[in-house]
Amino acid sequence: MKNKLKRLAFVSAAAFLGIALVLIFVYLGNRSSGPISEALGTLGDKVTDVEHSLLMKGREPVRSKELAWFNKYRNDTALLRHPDTILLGVYDNDYQKSFDNILKLDKMLDAPLPLIQIYIAWGDKDNEQFPMLYAKAIYDLGSTPMITWEPWLNDFNREEHNLPPAIQPDKNGMAAVARGEYDFYIKAWAEDVKSFGHDIFIRLGHEMNDPYRYPWGPQNNKPKDFVAAWRHVVDVFRKMKVNNVLWIWAPQPAYLHYKEYYPGKNYVDWVGVGALNYGTVAPWSKWWTFKEIFGNYYDKLKPFKKPFMVTEMGSLTVGGERDEWFKKAFTNLPKKYPDLKAILFFDDNSDNTTLNKTLDWSIVDDSTTCEAIRTAIQTTWNVNEKK
Amino acid sequence: MLKTNRKNKDYWQFWEAREVTTTSRFFFLILVIAGVVSIARFFDWWFRTGHLASIPLFVLLSLIIWYGILRIIVIWINYLGIKKPERIEPEKGLKVAIFTTSSPGEPLSMFDKTLEACSNIDYPHTTYLLDDTQDARFKAVAEKHGAVWLELVGLPGAKAGKVNKALQMIDEDFVLIMDPDHIPFPNFLDEVLGYFKDKEVGFVQVSQAYYNQYRSFTARGAAEQTYTFYGPTMMGMHGFGTSVAIGANCTFRKKALESIGGHGIGLAEDLITSIRLHAAGWKSVFRPVVVSRGLVPEDFGSFCKQQLKWSRGVFEVLFSEWPRLFTKLTGWQRLSYLTISTYYLVGVTTFLYVAIPFLYFWAGWLPANMDFGMFLIKGLPVVIIAVLIYLYVQRWLSHPPTERGLHWRGMILKFATWPVFFLGAMLAVVNAEIPYIPTAKKAVKGLSPYTRPLIFQVILFVLTLAYVIYDRLYVVSEGILALTSQKVWGMFAFAFVAIIMVAGGIYAAYESSNLEPEEPWKEINLQDIKKEKHEK
Repeated sequence: MKNKLKRLAFVSAAAFLGIALVLIFVYLGNRSSGPISEALGTLGDKVTDVEHSLLMKGREPVRSKELAWFNKYRNDTALLRHPDTILLGVYDNDYQKSFDNILKLDKMLDAPLPLIQIYIAWGDKDNEQFPMLYAKAIYDLGSTPMITWEPWLNDFNREEHNLPPAIQPDKNGMAAVARGEYDFYIKAWAEDVKSFGHDIFIRLGHEMNDPYRYPWGPQNNKPKDFVAAWRHVVDVFRKMKVNNVLWIWAPQPAYLHYKEYYPGKNYVDWVGVGALNYGTVAPWSKWWTFKEIFGNYYDKLKPFKKPFMVTEMGSLTVGGERDEWFKKAFTNLPKKYPDLKAILFFDDNSDNTTLNKTLDWSIVDDSTTCEAIRTAIQTTWNVNEKK
Repeated sequence: MLKTNRKNKDYWQFWEAREVTTTSRFFFLILVIAGVVSIARFFDWWFRTGHLASIPLFVLLSLIIWYGILRIIVIWINYLGIKKPERIEPEKGLKVAIFTTSSPGEPLSMFDKTLEACSNIDYPHTTYLLDDTQDARFKAVAEKHGAVWLELVGLPGAKAGKVNKALQMIDEDFVLIMDPDHIPFPNFLDEVLGYFKDKEVGFVQVSQAYYNQYRSFTARGAAEQTYTFYGPTMMGMHGFGTSVAIGANCTFRKKALESIGGHGIGLAEDLITSIRLHAAGWKSVFRPVVVSRGLVPEDFGSFCKQQLKWSRGVFEVLFSEWPRLFTKLTGWQRLSYLTISTYYLVGVTTFLYVAIPFLYFWAGWLPANMDFGMFLIKGLPVVIIAVLIYLYVQRWLSHPPTERGLHWRGMILKFATWPVFFLGAMLAVVNAEIPYIPTAKKAVKGLSPYTRPLIFQVILFVLTLAYVIYDRLYVVSEGILALTSQKVWGMFAFAFVAIIMVAGGIYAAYESSNLEPEEPWKEINLQDIKKEKHEK
């Protein structure tokens, strides 16, 4: 009996200490999740940089050459703030694997697209930090990145960042952002944006006035808190002398209240809106033309006197003719909307953010639509001045 | 530095492994539990659907990694049973024979030394030279040192055949089978015979130690590979009642050998003999003492030949002995023999490991989408604890002063012999024979043909590198260039680790290709051997 007890004590003491040893490792791992994983992440980026400087010097760039006309714009913040031409762009959901779809769309439209959009949520994860790899890749392709930056607040380890405990971090989250609680994250971004070293567009907290959509919206926040949060973020960047950002304020003007969310003319460079035609896929939608969607917004947002960006342009195919939709939209567009200075195609072939089914907005494989867009641009826009 | 090791006086000193204390077992258990928990964490992270890229390749990679980890766990469990048998003073008047065998081509002067050393052994015994050289000088040497010369020509089964024939010709009860390249210490028999007081003990094995490590990188690496085995590993096996006979330096009870119809025959005759003895119910003892020193292969070619022989032979235990004797073995013995007889599958797993980067570059197959940083964070604790355990159990080496270390030469050599292990495994699968090749006692000149697959691997690596650079300069679409950079060069890093190991193997082959044949035993002065116990 005594022997048994002794053995039990021996084994359990060893088990206890063994587990403690592992916990120490885990603790050290977490502690060092700053420096170590950062070093590893930087190592990854460095690989790309080293290859870029060693190997890619020997390689002829193709796309950036074709986009040479855009250099004038992307290297001049003032010109990007008020461009004298319409900049086309795209979001493609395959971008993490490859930009080949975008290259294909370039060819289909016979016009390399100067703006490339990506979406990043706030948080601690690797893919929630400034996307240096993609930003650099986009720049190398001759384009400028447009980042939609979504302030989800539930993906931070609150203990680690000394954030006050909260069951729903998004509740009154914008006030917390304005108080500076998330400055560790905002500052890290600002630092990265600065070291990226080229102008980028940031669309922060889009559709902030939609009561049903995002957690930074009215269900959790007062308009004044959103405005305070926006100004705080911009101020943090400015204090750190990060001046290569163009800020896009993008409300959903279909709702009555949106003006209250405007951070002020000194805090906004562009005004953005989405223009997506859902056709008849949902009970609440019908086949609306681009004019019916955007024309209405254009008039509402004109008083802000900022250049317009259609941040997501797209149409489904259910309930009408997509090529016709685009043709109508693009025909004589510069004359109809003189303040519209940028249009980004929404080339997402598996969008499941709105409905509980997957929607295909992509046009890259729809040659009729691409043809319609190309013809409309070439025959009714004054494109010669661009090239 | 190597030159001074040559005169390593420590080598010729009787030595035994440290005692196993409760405290040391306690600390070891802590490490094992920490290791198992780390492995569980790594396991939990590894098997996630997000990691799947190509399913067949992921399965393959998982098999490689987890086969390796499983073996590590088995080794840790084995160490948990670690036990050092207490020395037992032998009875007086036992009838003991020493067998050593000679074959054509083996150097006469080596037998001169070995037989002299045998005659110096204190415990009364008879030495037999089992000879098929048909060379009269061998008979003369045997008689010079008072050994009985037995001419045994034309028997099948090489060494084991001669042993079995000789067993019928003697009337001693115990037989020590001495490899002719080993020089026994005078107290050899006094250290082992005591255990036969237990009537169920069938054989007693002691450590195998070497004295020609200084000769080459290959020799040092080959010796390094054996240190842990003839210390903590065999002590653990002894603890679980499953320590094996290694053919050389093993003392058998003649009755035990007779009960299984004599010494086993085959490329892994020692292992076949021990599994049969265990199945027949005989007990085994491993005593971690240095009471003789012998030779390891000095040149890469001889080393590979030896390894090929073993890797082919050991699978025979898996295919023909293990299933047949399964019901007669204890649970631990089943596990132990299964583990030993699948050891050389490492040739197959290493082949796949080597192939994976090339499959990626030439066929575009990526096994897994893993964040490299996470891989390190989850995998590093496992590696750290495995290394700590490896170093911790070195307290139980048979001769720590010369055997401690990370054994990196042994690791390089083990990796670089993957084509040999692979060949051995393939020959076993198709049940093809390799001819019996005696392990060379002296260095063989010239760059070994076993380096050809390694050189091919290096060339393939260089060609692939050139191809990938060309591809990325002129072919790959701009759209994926920056995005594939980390994956491509990460895979190169993966392949490069293997190339470094293989380059080490080629170096070992090159270094030993110009080795002057030498007869290391000539420098050994038998009067220098100290049979007194070393000071703690």
